[in-house]
Amino acid sequence: MSSLDESSLTPSCEYQENLDILRQTYFFSGLPLESLKIFAYLCTREKFRSGEFLFRQGDDGNDAFRLITGKAQLERAVDAGTREVRIIGAGEFIGGLALLGETRRLYSLRALEETVCLVLCREKFSKTLQQFPGQMPRIFTAVVGAISGWEERFLEELSGDCGKCLPKLGVSLL
Amino acid sequence: MGNVKRPIVKRSLFSWVFDGNLRWQVLLLAIIGVTVFTRVLPLEMQKRIVNQAISLRKLDLLLVYCGYYLAAVVISSACKYLINALETHISQNVLARMRTALYEHVLSLPLSFFRNTQPGTVVNAIVNELTVPSAFVGSAMSSPVSNILTLLAFAVYLLWLNPLLAVVSLSAYPAAMILLPLLQRRANAANQQRVDLSRTFSGRIAESIGGIHEIHGNGAYRLEINKFDRLVEKLRKVRVVWSLYRFAVKSTNNFFTSLGPFLVFILGGYLTIKGQLELGSLVAFLSAQEKLYDPWKELIEFYQVFQDGKVTYQRTMEFFDVEPDVALVPEGRKPFELEPSLEVKDLTFRTDGGIHLLDNINLSLKPGEHLALVGFSGSGKSTLALCIGQLYKYSDGQVLIGGQEVSQLTKQDVVVNVGLVAQSPFIFEGSIAENLLYACEAVAGNDGRSGNGLPTLDDIIAVLHQIGLFADVLRFGLNALLTPDRHQELVKAIIRVRRKFQDRYGEKLSDYVEFFDENAYLSYSTIAENLTFGAANREEFSPVRLSRNDYFTKFLGDEDLLRLLINIGVQLARQTVDILGNLPPDNVFFEQSPMSAEELPAYRQVLEQLRRRQTRELASNDYLRLLDLALRFTPGIHKMVGMGEDLQKLLLEKRARFRANISRDLPDAFSFYSSHEYIYSQTILNNIFFGKTKSASPQAQEVITQNIIQLLIERDLLETIVEIGMHYNVGTNGDKLSGGQRQKLAIARVFLKAPKLLIMDEATSALDNKSQARIQNLLETRWKRKSTLVAVVHRLDTIRNFDQVAVMKAGKIIEKGGYDELIARKGALYELVGRK
Repeated sequence: MSSLDESSLTPSCEYQENLDILRQTYFFSGLPLESLKIFAYLCTREKFRSGEFLFRQGDDGNDAFRLITGKAQLERAVDAGTREVRIIGAGEFIGGLALLGETRRLYSLRALEETVCLVLCREKFSKTLQQFPGQMPRIFTAVVGAISGWEERFLEELSGDCGKCLPKLGVSLL
Repeated sequence: MGNVKRPIVKRSLFSWVFDGNLRWQVLLLAIIGVTVFTRVLPLEMQKRIVNQAISLRKLDLLLVYCGYYLAAVVISSACKYLINALETHISQNVLARMRTALYEHVLSLPLSFFRNTQPGTVVNAIVNELTVPSAFVGSAMSSPVSNILTLLAFAVYLLWLNPLLAVVSLSAYPAAMILLPLLQRRANAANQQRVDLSRTFSGRIAESIGGIHEIHGNGAYRLEINKFDRLVEKLRKVRVVWSLYRFAVKSTNNFFTSLGPFLVFILGGYLTIKGQLELGSLVAFLSAQEKLYDPWKELIEFYQVFQDGKVTYQRTMEFFDVEPDVALVPEGRKPFELEPSLEVKDLTFRTDGGIHLLDNINLSLKPGEHLALVGFSGSGKSTLALCIGQLYKYSDGQVLIGGQEVSQLTKQDVVVNVGLVAQSPFIFEGSIAENLLYACEAVAGNDGRSGNGLPTLDDIIAVLHQIGLFADVLRFGLNALLTPDRHQELVKAIIRVRRKFQDRYGEKLSDYVEFFDENAYLSYSTIAENLTFGAANREEFSPVRLSRNDYFTKFLGDEDLLRLLINIGVQLARQTVDILGNLPPDNVFFEQSPMSAEELPAYRQVLEQLRRRQTRELASNDYLRLLDLALRFTPGIHKMVGMGEDLQKLLLEKRARFRANISRDLPDAFSFYSSHEYIYSQTILNNIFFGKTKSASPQAQEVITQNIIQLLIERDLLETIVEIGMHYNVGTNGDKLSGGQRQKLAIARVFLKAPKLLIMDEATSALDNKSQARIQNLLETRWKRKSTLVAVVHRLDTIRNFDQVAVMKAGKIIEKGGYDELIARKGALYELVGRK
């Protein structure tokens, strides 16, 4: 091929970048390339302006997000107003459980600055995995690992000092 | 049609012969009479030509006889053609009616029949099997009558000529008549097996295709092929046996008919030598023998068609000879207008295996009351709902609607009074409007054609609003293309909206829209659109034809773009086939792809070719395919490859070049995008934007729709666009709609029908919270006290306001009462709600 052909299409396109991102995301990283490629192709990039919601509390959760740039505020509305939970930054993956089944959002996620994320919805996810029924266990393994890991860290950080919330511990025992 | 009463499966094959074809059969008979006469006449002429004209050397007689001969032959041929035409007419008529009747019968069969029947079996029966008996019916009267008459006429004529010779030469035929049916019987047996096997065969193929996921998933190709091979082999053997017997029948027949001339020669020759037979008579005998062969052969062929037809018909009808559970239409009365009270007494539903899916159910609903059926899946909620809706035939007990036993009602009684939204509703190929009116049309006229009593556009729009489908239909409308000859007024109005839009929202929506800008590369438009930057006014410049347009390809060649584009095509094809190559043709996978699922195999082949040869060595068809793909490339959507900035810059330069060239050469070929002209090649929405949407995300859609609706309302265009949207084709099985949209459409079509008893079987399971709440609200405000409702509910947060709640477990109702009452009792419902 001549140099003109080489320059016609950029070697690193969005699809390649998506593929790299998914391979670095715990939820997907265990999957073989054949299904990862389809996810990289199917997920879309969405831009949220500062103040726009990625999702709102009470909505049906249908999408998983992976922040590429920007940051967003996770918050929860309570009777007294809005509690700020934490800040989700670039590189974080959020909403993986929504891909596995119907959930209702317990939190809202609001962009704090212009935020670009990779979005994948449950329909695309489940239709793709239907093609690779053998790969579902890998996803489950990843999710189970993430939940246990989360609680383990949580307990370590607590170092036994939880007080009133102690009876509610044990999400990894679900 | 007069024969509605007797179902097709009970009709004999012969009943089709005259029914509805009497006129044609009589006409056929008349023509046959003429034919028989014109077939015998030449024999007599032959004799006279030899005996009188030739031996007496009379030229005038020769001319007269030859004239008769010719006339007879001409008339006979013409009649033969007419007979064939009439036979075809009759058999096609009958085939059409058989198909309709069988289809009608199949549709009326109970659901249980289809649990054990593959779609392929039904398809095979209606499409293939019926052709055999209908071919028989076409010639059922004409063939035996005309051929037997001809044979008789010949026989009588020969007997008159010379009785002895006639008896001897015809003696071969009775022998054949004994032997042939024996062989034919064997052929029939084989044919019967063939029909049965073909049915299993098509069923198996349909099953495999239906379960292709499972086959792929398990990599069970070998396994399936082995199963298939065994069937193929069986079918092959049966077909061979069948054919061998058929040919045996033919050969035996040929043998006997060839014996005839032999007998004539040996006996006739002897008699002529002895001077006991005239030479002319011998000639007549010989040619009669020749001519006997044709009607005889036709008779034998007819016999085979008859036997095959009989067997196929019987086998097919036996298979479908199942009683429908209920009559379709009431006889001698109008459908009942039932009071929508519901009484269920000791209802039991047993499967064939004796399992009680429903056990002693008792329920009572007054008109207008709402009942929620709750419980774990498998508890029998849906079964109960479907028993009430007459879709399942219950084993014991009673279901009374307005005091009438449901199992005794006709389908029409039920359809007029009851509306049912199924768990996974089926949406048919067709427009939104057709699907919306499906239930109403079924009630209004059973033929689906009469239009009286159908809801008006206003009714429909109101229901679309209520259900929450309005915005979706509006969006379909906005994505429609207009045609110049039909929408002139609308087009002008849209241009005005465009101006307003630019002023008011241009800035605000710039993140969502890529505006048409002459000096910018458009990432959400195709390469072709970027080059031409206009809409084709001539068919040969339309996007689909562009790759084959000489002017355009010459331009690409002159500007050194061809090779570049082909390479883009190759890379696009490579990536797309790599990613999507093994996926089913689902819209979810292919909406971001430059090629459709149907085209993919062709591109895979082009890539196969490219492994062995250079692009310039490709067949021109393949080459054009790649060019076509490249011209469609839209980097904003087709993300599998990226487009560098220098390429964009290059294409922008060529845009200006193309514009200059074509304005000079073919000034009327394109209308270049201009902000005060409508672009017919673009959707209404793109015309309002004067650009294209960038994001398909729900958020973006919502922002855009909200702003557009405002403008359309101001201009009084909203309803017009919604009406256009109602013509949107939903695709096979409605696959261009989302699960939620399909379910809303199914609810809307039942709401439009406004039945007095509404049965909803988890009708909102695919809807989001908001839509679910909206429908629940609608049921409470608009339908309570007006229509009785039985709702199978899986989300318990919606049942608070139902009049009654019945909790089911293992086929029994374990708890029944008002919501608050049951919660206060802290029983099964309390537990269910708590668990949620």
